[in-house]
Amino acid sequence: MMRLRRTVAKLRNLLANKHAEEDLAREIVSHLTLLADDFERSGMSAEEARLAALRALGGVEQAKQAHRDERSFLWIEQALQDLRYGLRTLSKSPGFTITAVLTLAVGIGACTAIFSLVNAVLIRSLPYGDSSRLVYLYTPNLQFKLPAEVFGPTYADFYDLKRESHCFQEITAFDQSIFSLASPGAAERISAARVDGDFFRTFQSSPELGREITPDDNQLGHEKVAVISHALWQSIFGSAADVLRRSLLLDGRSYEIIGVMPQGFEYPHNTDLAYGESQYKTTQVWIPLALTPQQMADRENARGNAVARLKPGVSIAQAQAEMATIMVRLDKLHDPQVRGWGALIENFVDTAVGHVRSLLWLLLGAVSIVLLIACSNAANLLLARAAGRVRELGVRVALGAGRSRIVRQVITEVLLIGLVAGAIGVSFAYFFLRILPLFNPGNIPRLNEASLDLRVLLFTIAVSLFTSALTGAFPALAVSRLNLTDVLASTGSRSVAGAHNRVQSALIVVESALVVVLLASAGLLVRSYLNVESVNAGFSQSTVTLNIGLDPRDSQPQAVQFFQNLFARLQALPGVETVGAVSNLPLSNSDDLRMFAVDGYPNQKGQLAEMRWATPNYFSAMRIPLIAGRMFTAEEKSGVHAVIINQSFATKYFAGRNPIGGRISRQDDPAQWSTVVGVIGDVRHNSVEEPAEPQIYHPDMEFGGGYIAVRSSLPAKPLAASIRAVLHSLDPNLAAGAIRTMGDLESEASAPRRFQTSLLALFAAIALSLALVGLYGLMVYSVSRRTREVGIRMALGAQRGDVLWLVLKKAAFLLAIGLASGLVASWFATRAIQALLFGIGRHDPITILSVCALLAVSGLLAAMIPTRRAASIDPMQALRTE
Amino acid sequence: MSLQILQGTLDLMILRTLATMGAQHAYGIASRLQQVSDDTLNLNQGTIYPALVRIEQRGWTRGSWGKTENGREAKYYAITKAGLKALDEETERWRQMSGVVEKLLAEEQ
Repeated sequence: MMRLRRTVAKLRNLLANKHAEEDLAREIVSHLTLLADDFERSGMSAEEARLAALRALGGVEQAKQAHRDERSFLWIEQALQDLRYGLRTLSKSPGFTITAVLTLAVGIGACTAIFSLVNAVLIRSLPYGDSSRLVYLYTPNLQFKLPAEVFGPTYADFYDLKRESHCFQEITAFDQSIFSLASPGAAERISAARVDGDFFRTFQSSPELGREITPDDNQLGHEKVAVISHALWQSIFGSAADVLRRSLLLDGRSYEIIGVMPQGFEYPHNTDLAYGESQYKTTQVWIPLALTPQQMADRENARGNAVARLKPGVSIAQAQAEMATIMVRLDKLHDPQVRGWGALIENFVDTAVGHVRSLLWLLLGAVSIVLLIACSNAANLLLARAAGRVRELGVRVALGAGRSRIVRQVITEVLLIGLVAGAIGVSFAYFFLRILPLFNPGNIPRLNEASLDLRVLLFTIAVSLFTSALTGAFPALAVSRLNLTDVLASTGSRSVAGAHNRVQSALIVVESALVVVLLASAGLLVRSYLNVESVNAGFSQSTVTLNIGLDPRDSQPQAVQFFQNLFARLQALPGVETVGAVSNLPLSNSDDLRMFAVDGYPNQKGQLAEMRWATPNYFSAMRIPLIAGRMFTAEEKSGVHAVIINQSFATKYFAGRNPIGGRISRQDDPAQWSTVVGVIGDVRHNSVEEPAEPQIYHPDMEFGGGYIAVRSSLPAKPLAASIRAVLHSLDPNLAAGAIRTMGDLESEASAPRRFQTSLLALFAAIALSLALVGLYGLMVYSVSRRTREVGIRMALGAQRGDVLWLVLKKAAFLLAIGLASGLVASWFATRAIQALLFGIGRHDPITILSVCALLAVSGLLAAMIPTRRAASIDPMQALRTE
Repeated sequence: MSLQILQGTLDLMILRTLATMGAQHAYGIASRLQQVSDDTLNLNQGTIYPALVRIEQRGWTRGSWGKTENGREAKYYAITKAGLKALDEETERWRQMSGVVEKLLAEEQ
């Protein structure tokens, strides 16, 4: 209590210091007056009395100081003094202060920006309750050389697993569908999830309005209900309160709206499912899965995605073991031709973010290097300045400032710089986050949710403090070793400067080594990107494509009629050369893998090829070249089994034979053979970066929906507009997907690579410029230190060239050591980006040589500028300095 | 002989002075201490200021500006209730302490 009262009083005095100080001065004057009065009364003269009073009081200033020490917190007062002093000295050398602050701000800003991304993607928890207990269930089959995640359980397997397992608290099955959603004005395509009655319970998410989809809704005849997303509620219904009394038209069918999900629930996203609908980023509508009894009993074909929530305390390994046991029994119920269905359980969060985790850590590593460089730069600046201030500090020590007080002064300054830099860094990060969505590569979940929340700000403060500590360590150490007699005895500050210089040089070496690592990594990624760009994917970039799916209410003949009509109208557009269509377009994230057998080839179980149905004009619309045989003709009857294969297929299955006339079976009818009539060039389907897979094309004379490819001499934009006009005139309620060129699709597919490459290149560029600024600063400093020496040398007859070399020699030496150690470090560090390289090794000599050349040339240039100044020193003036 | 003030005893002496004489200014307190000690107490009058501020911050005295008999202005310190209580406690503690010291010294002889 007493202590508290004193503390409060002390704090009050700290704030009301001026008042306390005035009161004390007044009290002491009064005290002296009273003393002097008494002395006068005892017979002294006024002057004698005044002096006697002063003597009796025993030192006015000491009394005041004793009073001050007692009444307030000394250390806070001193800290405030340090702060004021620091602000004053920093503002007295604005050049130094601005450079140091901006250097650190760049480092801290980059760190904050990337950390906010990491925070949004990896750290912030998903809005599905305890998401660490959520898992995906797969039933992989090793027979097919396909990733395990392709195989969600078939519905028969799913319901058996659900019945027999004891590890899951909830388990749900769902599938995805694309619908045309009729909205006022125009139709649009949206992605919907068809979910069973346990879906929302499994995700522990409930609607903000209305109710969720229940098992009752999944009974056939009750399934025309829908839960919509918050975004859809806003965009289509204008957030109307009576939305629950309205309905939704999906593919022409009416669904009664029973609920609205809260903002943030749009599961599944395109990044959630490895093999889900990837064209649409989020899910906007949830409707009942409503399986028919046949589908529920289907053990071979009908399959969905399965998500479960583990019971508390159950590990993934335990659940997986149990599931494996059950699958051993279920496998025996499968078609004897295709057995070997296993069990795999994967962590939900890892599936959602696993693929970007390494990228984000890589970026965080890169910005940490930038921050380290920034720190050593600022440390160098401080050291240079400390050397310049040696006399000032020496004088302060001589006047009685304690050594610890001097060190504290240095730390206060560094903290000031660090915190100001942190504040500026946060604003850098803010702008970075504002423009980040423009570069969204599409494969980073929740990238748009990256923001400066409390955790990020705490991180920034921690980084700023850490930065200050790192930056201040060397100068503080240097100052604490300051030897008073040395300083005051020497005319200059050479003695101290010598030691400083070694530390500064070491820092430059470390900086350039770090820069080499970053430059080499960025260089390798840039080269990889160029390699990817130069890949020939096998089709024309300028072909304009669109995806059209008709409502199922249109019968097959009507659909065929519609497309015949559409093709004719498009063909008639001015400038259009060819119109073709295909079931699965390259880079559209749609695929159709089927089993087949080749006549005269040792066929293996589960061998798969990309199966396509194409109209005769498709190949010429895409400019896919014919290599042998012929294309499909207009006379090709659907059902007559002519097929076209690609080069890869011919090489693999018709090695040493003429593929033309060869026979290929179809999975659904092994007895029926198709005859190869042509071989076309390879087309990269899944990604530009993966080699082409074997493909089989069937002629499609009765095209009823899929991808349309249009080749034209017109630019893409006006062509897209006229295509839309044609579509609208044919059917105003038809929702066409985006109209894009193949080049757009390619660019979209390489967006993740572009994203990581440009970010790393940006950080490498920042690192390089920071290091150059650092080197420049060091050279300026060392030239100014050596002005006298240079003057003497020149007076003794040294040539300009000699002097130039004398100073430059040091920069070249430091750069060489930095380069060499940087190359050694890169040799190991580039392992981190190994997986991201395309078409080059991680020790690519061209990249390494370019990096060396870049650093050497720019480094020497940065060093040259101050050195030239040294060479132009006037000897007479130089000798007079110091 | 001149006496140095024993650590921690100045607070007690000031409180006792104020309790006996009523509100006093710093000079008054210092004069009183010197007078009582028959001028054997070697006291720079300035040294009582830290003690004064310490006691005031603890709430044992309250300071206010007033006029002396001769019309000079001075800051008067008056002892508070808490100060009186503290005086009792401090006095008791001093008695115990000096008793112990006395006893020890007596045994030595």
